[in-house]
Amino acid sequence: MMITWMFGAAILLPVLSGLFLLLRRGKIQNRRLKCVGIFLVMALTALLAVGLICSPDYELTVWRLTDTISLTFRLDGLARLFMGMTVAAWTLGGVFAFEYMKHEENEDRYFGFYLIVLGVLLALDQAGNLVTLYLCFEMMTLTSLPLVLHNMSHEAVMAGLKYLFYSIGGAFTALFGIFYLFANGLTGSFTPGGYLSAGTVSYTGTTGMTLFVLLLIIVGFGTKAGMFPMHGWLPTAHPVAPAPASAVLSGVITKAGVLAVVRVVFYMVGADFLRGTWVQYTWLTLALITVFMGSMMAYKEQLLKKRLAYSSVSQVSYIMFGLATLTVDGFVGGLAHFIFHSVIKDCLFLCAGAIIYNTHRTRVDELRGIGKEMPVTMWCFTIVSLGLVGIPPFSGFVSKWYLAVGSLGSGTGVFTWLGPVVLLLSALLTAGYLLILSIQAFFPGADFDYADVKKHEVNALMTVPMILYAAATLLLGMFPGTLIGFIQNIASAVL
Amino acid sequence: MNSACLALAIALPIVGGALMPLLRLPDKKRNLLIEILVLATSALAFACVLRRPETNFVLFHLTGNMTFSLRLDGLGSVFTCLIAALWPLATLYAFEYMRHEERTTSFFACYTMTYGVTLGIAMSEDLVTMYLFYELLTLVSVYLVMHPMTRKALRASRTYLYYSIGGAAFAFIGLVFLILYGTTTNFVLGGVLDMEKVGGNVQLILLVYVLAFLGFGVKAAIFPFSGWLPKASVAPTPVTALLHAVAVVKSGAFALMRLTYYSFGTDFLRGTWAHFAVMSIAMISVIYGSTMAVKETHFKRRLAYSTISNLSYVIMGVTMMSPAGLLAAMCHMVVHAVMKIGAFFCSGAVLHQSGIEYIDELNGLGRRMPFTFGTFVIFSCSLAGIPLFGGFISKWCIAMAAVETAREIPYAYAVVGVLLYAALMTAIYVFTVVVRAFFPDRGSVTPHPEVTDPNWEMCLPLAVFAVATLVLGLHSGPLLDVLQSIANGGF
Amino acid sequence: MNFVQNFPCFSIVLCMVAGIISTPLKGKGAKRVTLFIVSLVALLSFVTLLYILFTGTGFTYTMGRFPAPWGNELRAGLLESLLATVFSLVVLCSLLGGMDLIFTDIAEDKVNLYFILVDLLLSSLLAILYTNDLFTAYVFVEINTISTCGLIMIRESGRSLIAATRYMIMSLIGSGLFLISIAMLYGVTGNLLMEYIHVEILELAASGQYQVPLLVIISFCTVGLAIKSGLYPFHSWMPDAYGYATISSSAILSSLVSKSYIFLLIKIFYCVIGFDLIVQSKIVNVLFVFGLVGMIMGSVSAIMAKEIYRMIAYSSVAQIGYIYMGIGLATEAGMVAAVFHILTHAVTKSLLFLSAKGLNEASGRKRVYPALQGAAFRNPLAGAAFLIGSLSMVGIPTLAGFISKLLFATAAIDGSQRKMLPTLIVLEVSTILNTIYFLHTVVRIYTPVGAPEEYKDVRIHPTPGRIGALVALILMNFGLGLFSQPITDLIRAGIEMFA
Repeated sequence: MMITWMFGAAILLPVLSGLFLLLRRGKIQNRRLKCVGIFLVMALTALLAVGLICSPDYELTVWRLTDTISLTFRLDGLARLFMGMTVAAWTLGGVFAFEYMKHEENEDRYFGFYLIVLGVLLALDQAGNLVTLYLCFEMMTLTSLPLVLHNMSHEAVMAGLKYLFYSIGGAFTALFGIFYLFANGLTGSFTPGGYLSAGTVSYTGTTGMTLFVLLLIIVGFGTKAGMFPMHGWLPTAHPVAPAPASAVLSGVITKAGVLAVVRVVFYMVGADFLRGTWVQYTWLTLALITVFMGSMMAYKEQLLKKRLAYSSVSQVSYIMFGLATLTVDGFVGGLAHFIFHSVIKDCLFLCAGAIIYNTHRTRVDELRGIGKEMPVTMWCFTIVSLGLVGIPPFSGFVSKWYLAVGSLGSGTGVFTWLGPVVLLLSALLTAGYLLILSIQAFFPGADFDYADVKKHEVNALMTVPMILYAAATLLLGMFPGTLIGFIQNIASAVL
Repeated sequence: MNSACLALAIALPIVGGALMPLLRLPDKKRNLLIEILVLATSALAFACVLRRPETNFVLFHLTGNMTFSLRLDGLGSVFTCLIAALWPLATLYAFEYMRHEERTTSFFACYTMTYGVTLGIAMSEDLVTMYLFYELLTLVSVYLVMHPMTRKALRASRTYLYYSIGGAAFAFIGLVFLILYGTTTNFVLGGVLDMEKVGGNVQLILLVYVLAFLGFGVKAAIFPFSGWLPKASVAPTPVTALLHAVAVVKSGAFALMRLTYYSFGTDFLRGTWAHFAVMSIAMISVIYGSTMAVKETHFKRRLAYSTISNLSYVIMGVTMMSPAGLLAAMCHMVVHAVMKIGAFFCSGAVLHQSGIEYIDELNGLGRRMPFTFGTFVIFSCSLAGIPLFGGFISKWCIAMAAVETAREIPYAYAVVGVLLYAALMTAIYVFTVVVRAFFPDRGSVTPHPEVTDPNWEMCLPLAVFAVATLVLGLHSGPLLDVLQSIANGGF
Repeated sequence: MNFVQNFPCFSIVLCMVAGIISTPLKGKGAKRVTLFIVSLVALLSFVTLLYILFTGTGFTYTMGRFPAPWGNELRAGLLESLLATVFSLVVLCSLLGGMDLIFTDIAEDKVNLYFILVDLLLSSLLAILYTNDLFTAYVFVEINTISTCGLIMIRESGRSLIAATRYMIMSLIGSGLFLISIAMLYGVTGNLLMEYIHVEILELAASGQYQVPLLVIISFCTVGLAIKSGLYPFHSWMPDAYGYATISSSAILSSLVSKSYIFLLIKIFYCVIGFDLIVQSKIVNVLFVFGLVGMIMGSVSAIMAKEIYRMIAYSSVAQIGYIYMGIGLATEAGMVAAVFHILTHAVTKSLLFLSAKGLNEASGRKRVYPALQGAAFRNPLAGAAFLIGSLSMVGIPTLAGFISKLLFATAAIDGSQRKMLPTLIVLEVSTILNTIYFLHTVVRIYTPVGAPEEYKDVRIHPTPGRIGALVALILMNFGLGLFSQPITDLIRAGIEMFA
């Protein structure tokens, strides 16, 4: 009973306060009060979420749409992992935004939707069956749209629409699969290990068709994760959003696609069903293409935020690759990379935001010597970049290690070695497109004129989140045991 | 209940509407009278549905075995309820909308008569009677299209007329064949074809079915006979909303259900080339409608194209040729009626309040008319098939029916694909409106700063439809139960 | 012999007598006499119909003292008396409906002539219906032609004279062919009375003699009557003739005259040649094809027509196509449909012409479409009548046209497979075309005009006769549409009486 209340509160509190903010937008004059209020809401939500995370597993059916379609939420390891990441990223991003949004208009709308998306994401993380998952997925798309097109320039609106249509298109593609699975008997809630491999339900679909719809689901939900061939929206949409929004979009919302794929593949169908089929190979191929292509594009890109967005394209497909190996190690590596990449990419975008906020510079080549102006920001930037490249002792190394191990042990023929090679190549490219920035920032070269460079760092509201992220990158890299152990528990249940 | 009540429910609005111009009342009194008339009819219709007369009511005998007779069965009840629920609200909306127009009395006379005729379609016992009301529907509603009396409206009304009557002409072939090859022309779930008489003429009958399908399909705006619908959107919004999103076009879809499930019979049709043909037609219409809607920038015409695609959702349900398909078709018929009439009313409210017709002029209007566009968001989500809204449930049903049929006929998977393609297109064409209304490009000016939400007569129907869309989405269990039992022949 | 059996002869003679009486009378007097006689004829025909229904058999009536196989005979069956009743009613309605115009359109000293011609026409119509020998038929066909010409040209406007000339030429060609065929028949069989010819022909057919002459006879007779009845492509006289005659003439001509020839043709098919022989001769296929083409071409011409009368006239071309198509199906059901359509067309076309006149009056006597805009508001009764006539022609249920269409379609499906699809498709296409031109006009007349002042002076006071005629025709339309069963039964029984 208590759980029900907590669950309801965790979702409704941010949604309702977000709505309240939207309705009263522009009417609250005292900004400080407003920010405190928003912070309280986020903190309270975080507390509730933590409370939920610490509570035992549960499954709640909150509503029945029809006799067969119910809205069910369930808490399990995976949900805990995602919820934890979500509230952490949201709180930090929110704090950063208190300062950052000063230079944008319509901040009430921003925070309103920001809070609503938080609630929706918490619901998404706990979605207990296919329909609920789909519902939350669509809701997430719709409510996060205002974050993307926030500044309402023509470019932003168009990017927002692109985001919307790609996401919805992807969701509909996945919906085909959901229709098929559901109509053929997969109506239950998510179960570790899935139904089909275990043969626990009477399933009427044919194997060929099931595999086909699984591919649709992977590609469909993979849209959100920016997986090739449906990645086009991501480099357009993420950069135009305000920086804190880009951070959570890249760090958390793209991962919703990952979550959905995991739920379907590992919790509905079962990994064994997929193992060794053409769908697995297609999935691996798509993931690797995305990994490589994303890095290449990022390397070429000159706009900082866009470069980061391409980097996200590449990195999220690391996760996809790990999952696609269908091995315990790959799974662990994938989910670990999910956490690590979220942390790192959040931080990177916040750094980029801080730079834009402070200096209005958006292009990479304008950043020479900026390390002298904003040392804290650039130090954080450097640390997390190292993490992303995968240099020990930073966190990225751990996940990439597991990914490589998983790939090597997956028995997928050419992919066993091709995977690690591509990952390695991509890591090199990552170094190429991120570390070069740090180098230029701190070592602008002999011809750089230090005269008019003054140190003017952003204030604590912005630096603290970045520092926390950077610290997390380091700590998670040095002491990954707990997290890896937790993920391994999940993995052993589903594989 | 006495079966004469059926005739009364039909006659009340027809006679009342016909007499209205003779009374020469002032506008206010006339409106009151019409609303009372419509409400009374609705009450009577609901009463008929709740305490269904067991017997039929014969209006008159035509030739030996052809009678004009009325009877209410399950499918008819669904349509009756739908019409009876929507009409009073739409009339209310029309009062406000038409306030500044000319010739309102004759407009309302026809509007009310159309109600009776549509009820007639719902309550027809046999194909002949339905054909009669079907033709009458064209005739009474054509005046409503030409009502603005502009050249465009006149041309649209003629197009409408030609398409509709032409369609009926082909439906007529089906009618004649059923008279000759059927045991009766009455509607019986499972079909009435007399297989002995059919004998070796199976191919011929299938051809006739397709012809009749196309014929009745004209009103349901199937491709390539959909040209009249976008044109007809020159009519006043209450007409476009109620008639061209619900009454007229749903009559077409309803007729197709009757034709497929109650006349020719699904057992006869399933798996034949005719089955594939009609399924393909429906799919092409969906694709055509939804794609054209994306291209169209005129608000009402976009919704009209959307109607084309959505009607063919219903028809896709019909062409699944299974109880689940019929269930899905009925479900979408109901849901689409509610959400599309709502969406049209939104566009009408915009037109009425600000005179804006084109979507690219809507910049920022969402702020000025928050209520109207708030409800429009709900209808949009429902149209796009977002869960929690009505549209999702019906699409779900269609997809379930399609997958079920696809086990025997894999072609039906294409239906699911088309459904999702159309859903994407729908998302594009509705959400661009929403985005434009609420998130105008920076720098674009909101052209009408003084525009506000309309008064209660227009807002009330919007609110009711929005709530209904949500309720259908959130709590569709009872509705689906009823539809299920109808589809299984329980009623 | 029962007294009633005299009635067919009486009706014919009465009409002629009325013509003779009218000669010295003024217009008004002639009008009264004519109206009285026409009503009387309607009554007599109806009584005959009832009598035949009651007794269950038809009868023949010998005119003069020459018994068969010589002399002239009338034959009254169900069909004949039914058509006679409807025809006289339609004449009555048409006259009443256009009465005021007869007096304004026609020079005063010729009004009584007009009525004489009408009397003559009716007598010839009745005679063509009732006749049982070919020679009488021919004589009255000629009388019919002459009186028709008179009715067309009596208005004495330039175009009506041209129209009358055209009609005369066409008609005479038709009559000529018909005459040749009668002469040949007489030559081959030595008889003029239908039954006797029939018997002879059956023998000839059985023996295989005179095959070519028989074929020539059949084709001449068919083509001759087809020309006279205006089957496409022999329709060119129609639009002018109907469009420029005074309205009663148009109504009578379009509704009845061509139909009487068609009926004569049907009668010859059944009673003279024998239906089986006709079917063997394949002449029906020719009629079928021309019927179909006529349906389409008539409608297409009607769509292109620029004024309302011509449109209605061209529509007649299409409707005659329907009838020939029904005959061409060569089944009893097709024949029933054809005869039913004769009735439908008779009551609808006269209604359309009369109402079109009303609309025309309400639009400053302009006949082009743009002028007709909003006419239905200026003359509501004519508008409603035109609407109903149009709907009937389009085939809306509860109206006569729907039943015709239904009968044609059922006949087509029941008949030969080869003719089924063409029939159905042409039927539907023609429905669409009908929709286009009729309902286009309906939309036009129900479209309010922008500047109502233009027609402020237009005051329409329809005469009681006009109102009565329109209402009666509307009712007949509904009657045929709603209570078609007894009538189709009657027609079927009538056709069986022929055989």
